[in-house]
Amino acid sequence: MSRTPEAIPRISLTWLLVAQVLVILPHLIHLPLWIVFLWLGCAGWRIQVFLMRARYPNAWIKLGLLLGTGFGVFFSRGSLIGLEAGSVLLIAAFILKLLEMRSRRDALVLIFLGFFAVVTAYLFDDSIVSALYSLLPVTALLAALIGLQQTRFAERPWPTLRLAGGMLLQALPLMLLLFVFFPRLGPLWTLPQPGDQAVTGLSDSMAPGDIAELSQSGALAFRASFDGEPPPRQQLYWRALTLEHFDGRRWSQSPAAHLPIAPRWERKGTPLQYSIVMEPSQRPWLFSLDIGETSLDRARMMNDFRLEYYRPVDRSLLYRVVSWPQAVREPQLAGGQLRRALQLPETGNPRTREWAEALKRQYPQPDELAQALLAHFNREPYVYTLKPPLAGADGIDEFLFDTRRGFCAHYAGAMTFALRVAGIPARVVAGYQGGEYNPSGRYLSVHQFDAHAWVEYWQPGKGWVSADPTFQVAPERIEQGLEQAVAEEQSFLASSPFSPLRYRNIGWINQLRLTWDRVNYGWQRWVLGYQGEQQLEVLQRWFGRIDNGVLAVVLVGGGGLMLSLLALLLFKPWRCEHDPQQRLFLRFERLLARHGLRRRTGEGPRAFAERASLALPAQAEAIRGFVQVYEAQRYGGQKASPATLRQALARVRQGLPWRLTRAD
Amino acid sequence: MRTKLEDCLQAVNQVLLGKEAQVRLALTCLLARGHLLIEDLPGMGKTTLSHALARVMGLSFQRIQFTSDLLPGDILGTSVFDKDTGQFVFHPGPIFAELVLADEINRATPKSQSALLEAMEEGQVTIEGATRPLPEPFFVIATQNPVSQGGTFALPESQLDRFLMRLSLGYPAKAAEKALLLGESRREILPRLDAVLDHAELAAIQQEVTRVRASDALVDYVLRLVEATRSQPQFAWGLSPRASLALLAAARAWAFLAGRDYVIPEDVQAVLPSVVGHRLRERADPTGHGGGALVQWLLTEVAAV
Repeated sequence: MSRTPEAIPRISLTWLLVAQVLVILPHLIHLPLWIVFLWLGCAGWRIQVFLMRARYPNAWIKLGLLLGTGFGVFFSRGSLIGLEAGSVLLIAAFILKLLEMRSRRDALVLIFLGFFAVVTAYLFDDSIVSALYSLLPVTALLAALIGLQQTRFAERPWPTLRLAGGMLLQALPLMLLLFVFFPRLGPLWTLPQPGDQAVTGLSDSMAPGDIAELSQSGALAFRASFDGEPPPRQQLYWRALTLEHFDGRRWSQSPAAHLPIAPRWERKGTPLQYSIVMEPSQRPWLFSLDIGETSLDRARMMNDFRLEYYRPVDRSLLYRVVSWPQAVREPQLAGGQLRRALQLPETGNPRTREWAEALKRQYPQPDELAQALLAHFNREPYVYTLKPPLAGADGIDEFLFDTRRGFCAHYAGAMTFALRVAGIPARVVAGYQGGEYNPSGRYLSVHQFDAHAWVEYWQPGKGWVSADPTFQVAPERIEQGLEQAVAEEQSFLASSPFSPLRYRNIGWINQLRLTWDRVNYGWQRWVLGYQGEQQLEVLQRWFGRIDNGVLAVVLVGGGGLMLSLLALLLFKPWRCEHDPQQRLFLRFERLLARHGLRRRTGEGPRAFAERASLALPAQAEAIRGFVQVYEAQRYGGQKASPATLRQALARVRQGLPWRLTRAD
Repeated sequence: MRTKLEDCLQAVNQVLLGKEAQVRLALTCLLARGHLLIEDLPGMGKTTLSHALARVMGLSFQRIQFTSDLLPGDILGTSVFDKDTGQFVFHPGPIFAELVLADEINRATPKSQSALLEAMEEGQVTIEGATRPLPEPFFVIATQNPVSQGGTFALPESQLDRFLMRLSLGYPAKAAEKALLLGESRREILPRLDAVLDHAELAAIQQEVTRVRASDALVDYVLRLVEATRSQPQFAWGLSPRASLALLAAARAWAFLAGRDYVIPEDVQAVLPSVVGHRLRERADPTGHGGGALVQWLLTEVAAV
């Protein structure tokens, strides 16, 4: 019984170091740089230890490293708690553990830590690329795990890797099975999401420059796939939220928009059915065409018809929507709402006020007035541009009468302002317009540069009506998209020259981009989005009507069945010893095995007892006594008496210190 | 009775120094009514061992030196015409002794070899139509020289199978050899050895040995061993039922010598190398000398319990 811990085999160490690199690599985007040097130092040290050129660090050095790392994390992340600091700490621990990896047990700890670190990488990136990549570190960790079981003298690392790969492949069917059937439990707690990932997207207030900035981003906002053909592009107004409060410069969401009052509306016309996979936006709004109802759990319609999730969307979200484009929206409006939809700052933009009041005298009907405004934008030489001149204090005045250059936010803001001056309740709607149709995947991708603002005005009896002044100025923006609208000034994605979206006119690049986009969409929709209702839906399609209760019973039953089959296979009860004598002898063997004495296959009981007596001289008599009784009963023709055998075994056990596991 | 057997062993050990294990196996072979093949270089004490055994067991001893011109008649005996009676009178050959030492058995032609081996197997000889029983007990110790193979007729496997055991004496240990060199000549000690057992006692012991208990579990172990030789790929061929009988008989005698009236797996293991070694061949080398490595494999890999 050797007391020195068993050294870690060469192959295992090799694979462990490889696995560490692979595990840490995807984390590098959010790790401080010194982690790399920490790893280099620790790995170098551990290799020197393996080559017997260095010793393991002593307690003081370890304490110093621990404190140093702790301070390092605190200074680079400003905290020791939270997801980011936590993941840095995890990786640092994963690295530092190298320096006290003496025995197999330590190596096991390190390997399991590695598996955990692989999983935490998903918190930062759950795309298909990173998921496929994570197979690499998992294989390397498996190889290290297998390497631990090999002798210290095995030289070639490749067979180990091949075995690990084979095992991973064998696990594939089980993985698929679990993926399809395993119930997705709701989170028991939620982690604060990584905050440094600035997400571009709509915000709850809009100054004229905001949307221009957004239109520089080629990031994906969401994807939508329709049941059947999608409606024409000029009808694709994706509502996110409404901006009702104007402070003279900036439009923002009114505080009342958060009140949980459901709006009144009537379904009319034919509905559109589609599903949306939304990218993380860190905002609670969901996107839908007017007026959308969703079956998503814990999402509801707020009083400005926007759909809101119960918390900010911080990971991809799949939901289904039924939209009623011809619905009548709030034919009656309450006093408070009316006031909010007519709110204006006390002063500012005098020329616009004057002009709007003149128009009101000319066109007393709200509809006529709105048409007149739109006609004005159409008729006068307005220019749609992403590079408008900077606005002064009376921004709307300058825009309407001097510069006449701007984009959707300018037009929508100016028109809403004019409508309000004329006493017509109106508001700015922020959202997205259009989207890129992927013909092979039959879905629409809506990017950040599709962000748009338009106008909604209200008339008694008719409710809210949408109007888009931008369409009057630059119909190509609505009909073909931003790229065409700003083709002349070449400002489309000017700040990201490498975005593949800029090269849509090059056929094969575009084809490649669309295909890749489609793969990503499939991943999000069918892999990441496969949970909750969608899972239930798929299972129902396969197995007919099934509810959660039945599913739970089936799952628990199936799991139980599988576990018991596994148990049968592992423990092989049919091979269990029925002979009480033999059972007791097996117990005797197990007892001694715990003390490092294992009977060899060809070793007879007496020879084994002699060997054991030499190793455990204090128990020699009891051990010999047991074997004598056993021999006499088994070979000597003495009457079988398990009781005497048991007594003899008890005598052996009495003298031995208690041990649970085998001493290896 | 057992003390007498111990006395026998002690007496033989006085003559053949430092070879306790081989002497015990040889005695085991005798008690199991088997014949013994000793394979060794000349001058290692083969004759001394046989002679000493014969003396202490009180057996009549004959030695036949096998040569290439030895005829079956030289072993079995011949009828010679007697002028006085006018009849053929049978002159028994050296085989009609209780312990026969067939020295360098592989020097004789197969014809002469088989004359001896048939006698060993049948316990009787048939000469000129008359069947004559051999004495009881009847014990053959054959020796052969494994090194000088020129002009020899190696025993075929079928003949080897008739020997219960094959032993090899080997060089003595240093201390034993020193004692040998300093002590009296063996030739002088041998005649002084007294018989410890008489015929009746030996017969009784041999009878007793057959009654040593071999339990079900033990027989299962023997079967596992035999089965392994028949099923494992490294064996050129498996053990015959005669071999399994021999194994059990030898194990019984060994257990009896150890003072037990039942056989345990260790008894089987103790006799296994000498009982099955000459009956096994490796598949890779079917004409080779024997299965030392195979026996080791059997000892370590076949479950004993």
